[in-house]
Amino acid sequence: MKKTLCFILLALTLSHAKEFNAPMKAYMEGLNAEAKATNPNFTGFDAKRGEALFFSKHTGKKGTEMSCVTCHSNDLKKGGQNINTNKPITALAPSVNATRLTDVAEVEKWLRRNFNDVFAREGTALEKGDVLTYIINQ
Amino acid sequence: MKKLLLMTALGLSVAFAGSVAPVNNALYQKECASCHFGYQPALLNKASWEKVMTNLSDHFGTDASLGKVESEQILNYLVTNAGSGKITANNTTTQITKSPYFIKEHRKITPNLIEQKEVGSLANCMACHTTADKGSYSERAIVIPNYGRWE
Repeated sequence: MKKTLCFILLALTLSHAKEFNAPMKAYMEGLNAEAKATNPNFTGFDAKRGEALFFSKHTGKKGTEMSCVTCHSNDLKKGGQNINTNKPITALAPSVNATRLTDVAEVEKWLRRNFNDVFAREGTALEKGDVLTYIINQ
Repeated sequence: MKKLLLMTALGLSVAFAGSVAPVNNALYQKECASCHFGYQPALLNKASWEKVMTNLSDHFGTDASLGKVESEQILNYLVTNAGSGKITANNTTTQITKSPYFIKEHRKITPNLIEQKEVGSLANCMACHTTADKGSYSERAIVIPNYGRWE
């Protein structure tokens, strides 16, 4: 019974979620497998955890405190601004910027760079999966 | 003949009015100009570009790392079109703003004009050089925020 309820809840969550395209789905599955290999109790990516991660502050690569929001702003539907160069950044939310999270190579590149800049290390599969799950629903 | 002379004179005057070949490489534009102004290859010499491209994972304090293929293609574009002569003379750094010529050309710009939020730093070419993206740094095209035309 518990299991059925779990499935229904999962199905409901998924039906509200925006869809990744096929290559991105494959990439997410890879992250999923990696997260599971690291932690056998892992049950799936979570947008709420991704949101918390996106807003959390860390000592970045430059030694100053920052978060993803420092450049992307706290409203993903609006654009942001590069903190170092003042160059505008287009909105991250796929609902207003359809090109976001559609290209695996771009996604991998920016996750690598931005985790290093904000966290001063690369992201784990769990962190990357969570934050992508948060962004795809924006 | 007269026409040719005129053309030559025009060409020379443009060269001396601070013009460089505009960026004409889509990969460079996409990968480098997504975070900052797309600096024309002629603004640094070959050795400087080589230094920049070997250390992209710590690019002025941020991670700008690229895949091997993209990195090689961009390096090739940069060194093929790298600068020489007065613009890059005696600049052994990886910063365009450290070139003696650049410093001389910007010596009259007061710190308040540079530090204001519309500009931020001398690396933000487009803030004042309205045609910088076309490779033209002509004095006639300079409009400094909260100051006006430079000429």
